[in-house]
Amino acid sequence: MAPKTDKQKSKYTVDRGWPGGFEGETLTRRGFMTGVALGAGGVASAMFGLPALGFALGPIFEKTEHRALLDVGSTKDFNGDTYLPAVITTTAGIGQAGKTLIYVRKNTNPTDKQPWPYIAISTRCAHLGCPVRFIEAARSFVCPCHGGTYNYEGEVTGGPPVRPLDRFETFVKSDRVLVGERFSVNSQLERVPTRDPGAHVDGFWQVLYPPRPTV
Amino acid sequence: MPSKPKIPKPHKIPVSKLPKPPIPSGLTRVPKPGTTRDDVTVGDVAAEGGTGVVAWIDERTAGSGFLRGFLFRKVPKGTNWWYTLGSATMFAFISQAVTGVFLAMYYTPDPVQAYESVRNINNEVFLGEFVHGMHKWGATVMTVLVFVHMARTFVFGAYKYPRELNWVVGVLLLMMTMMMGFTGYLLPFDQRSFWATVVGVNLNGTGPIIGPYLADFLRAGSDFTATTLSRFYAIHMMLVPGLIGALIGVHLYLVAKLGTSAPPWLKSKLPDEEKKKV
Amino acid sequence: MSLILGAELGPKADPTTTTYVPRPEWYFFFLFELLRVIKPPELVFVATLGIPNIALALLVLLPFYDRSPERRPTRRPVAMTAMMLTIVAMTYLTLLGAFAGSPTQIDAEVEPQYQYGKEVAANSGCLGCHKFGENGNDGPGPNLTTIGQRLPKQAIQRTLDNPTPPMPSFKNMPPDQKEALVEYLGQLR
Repeated sequence: MAPKTDKQKSKYTVDRGWPGGFEGETLTRRGFMTGVALGAGGVASAMFGLPALGFALGPIFEKTEHRALLDVGSTKDFNGDTYLPAVITTTAGIGQAGKTLIYVRKNTNPTDKQPWPYIAISTRCAHLGCPVRFIEAARSFVCPCHGGTYNYEGEVTGGPPVRPLDRFETFVKSDRVLVGERFSVNSQLERVPTRDPGAHVDGFWQVLYPPRPTV
Repeated sequence: MPSKPKIPKPHKIPVSKLPKPPIPSGLTRVPKPGTTRDDVTVGDVAAEGGTGVVAWIDERTAGSGFLRGFLFRKVPKGTNWWYTLGSATMFAFISQAVTGVFLAMYYTPDPVQAYESVRNINNEVFLGEFVHGMHKWGATVMTVLVFVHMARTFVFGAYKYPRELNWVVGVLLLMMTMMMGFTGYLLPFDQRSFWATVVGVNLNGTGPIIGPYLADFLRAGSDFTATTLSRFYAIHMMLVPGLIGALIGVHLYLVAKLGTSAPPWLKSKLPDEEKKKV
Repeated sequence: MSLILGAELGPKADPTTTTYVPRPEWYFFFLFELLRVIKPPELVFVATLGIPNIALALLVLLPFYDRSPERRPTRRPVAMTAMMLTIVAMTYLTLLGAFAGSPTQIDAEVEPQYQYGKEVAANSGCLGCHKFGENGNDGPGPNLTTIGQRLPKQAIQRTLDNPTPPMPSFKNMPPDQKEALVEYLGQLR
């Protein structure tokens, strides 16, 4: 290859000997038109593409609205010795699919960590969300999918779950037990922001599972 | 002109004599009585051009040339039934698309009505359970075919140069097929579908950092809502099938462009030996 | 096939169940079983997303790290072995998934007088931690398939009342159920 001359380095198209070069131009017409066409195409695609993408991704950043407290029964129904199942509607308007089952008992020893008058435990396994069952005889919760087991407090005693079972806020109003939002608890049973099953809330691992904007 | 340095001539590859591919009768021009084919002039062709529907379409699309090149392309010796798995997979996809479109006519993507509408398809609609069954078992057939097709490509080493890109496209198609299996599973909205989807979404949620966002995206929020079902429905019947269709196009184009790979045990003969035989 | 088998539609979706055992479509069984095989909580994401994604990446990049021009299967021992191992592993996991029963069911037959005890065992969550023949989870508790050989009935009774943690105590179990359970466990040999 011949060494580059000053002319070839020039910014003018004529000097560089490009076909379609024109006096005083730094860009050929063909290059300019190609650029404009691509740019216009890009702008047009972005005009429908970006809003559509935002439309699809929007729910990720939207905070779930708090729903009204749900009545699960009279205060006389529950005691501290065993859990009773109660069906609550967490999402209204979608029929059966919006319901979920919780286990409720009286909190006989409220502490700073667990100030709730009643303990309401979610039946979503903290492994991958299968439905756990309370086994009265063993006083423990057992998950049928991958063999996770939890004790009476919902703490993991075996299997792959990464944290204790989630709980719900509880309130008492004129002798009725009311259930509020679901929240997750760490291995010390301290309240932490609600996570999905499978998300760690303890030690180093919790760094990898940040709380989401939706909750 | 200055003399160029002599480049050694490459081996001449003998042109194999194949019979001419068949042409639809509408495209063959019958010469006028008393003339031969060679006497046909440009004017005659113009005068007779476009008689018949096939010729009319062909004149305007030049499709016959493309179709002949595509459907009657040369294939190496020794191809066998294993080479038909790709076409079989595509046929399974087409059958899924057709049955899927017809199922969509009766299906309601709403958490309250979905189950009832599927039960209606199964029990009330004429041939409903049959078409639903074809779609359901067709999914299984398609998945199996995709895997066997992939195993065939692997064993025959057909993913090697120059077909690397086609392999990558194929793996993308495998992912899409799995995605179809996952999103379609929720639609009948029975116990099985619901819980498999809960677990499936939470599986995505276990990924570090982006996992929780991914799960929120699939569910369209932090809880299972009405949007979740319509989201799965849209992904299952529009987004992914569209991508699969486009990718199949690329896949087929590359197959036609690069040609079918010969079976690996086929001995390649030197051109001289080939000549002796002929 | 669809004529004979039709399209089975199960009971309507019910998130409030506590007895339903979720199962994926059969071609996802191998992924599903991977979750059961990998136990430690820290490794959950390895089973859920790690291994499948690594396998997928290996597949996509296959033509880029397998650069040898050799195409005959007999001359590619490494590739063929890798494929065979993958197929065997996937088949094994799929079969495991296909034959894994529900955790509230014990398949092994027993004599009629022990039937009630078997039902108690199946419905008390024992299978969450113990294995009974082909059913149940392998750990954290010991395999109970032949527990009667290793422990006399009195010892089984004692263990139920005062077990080693993390096993919960079954002290509060109704006496007739506990008796049936001990009888059932004692005859497992």
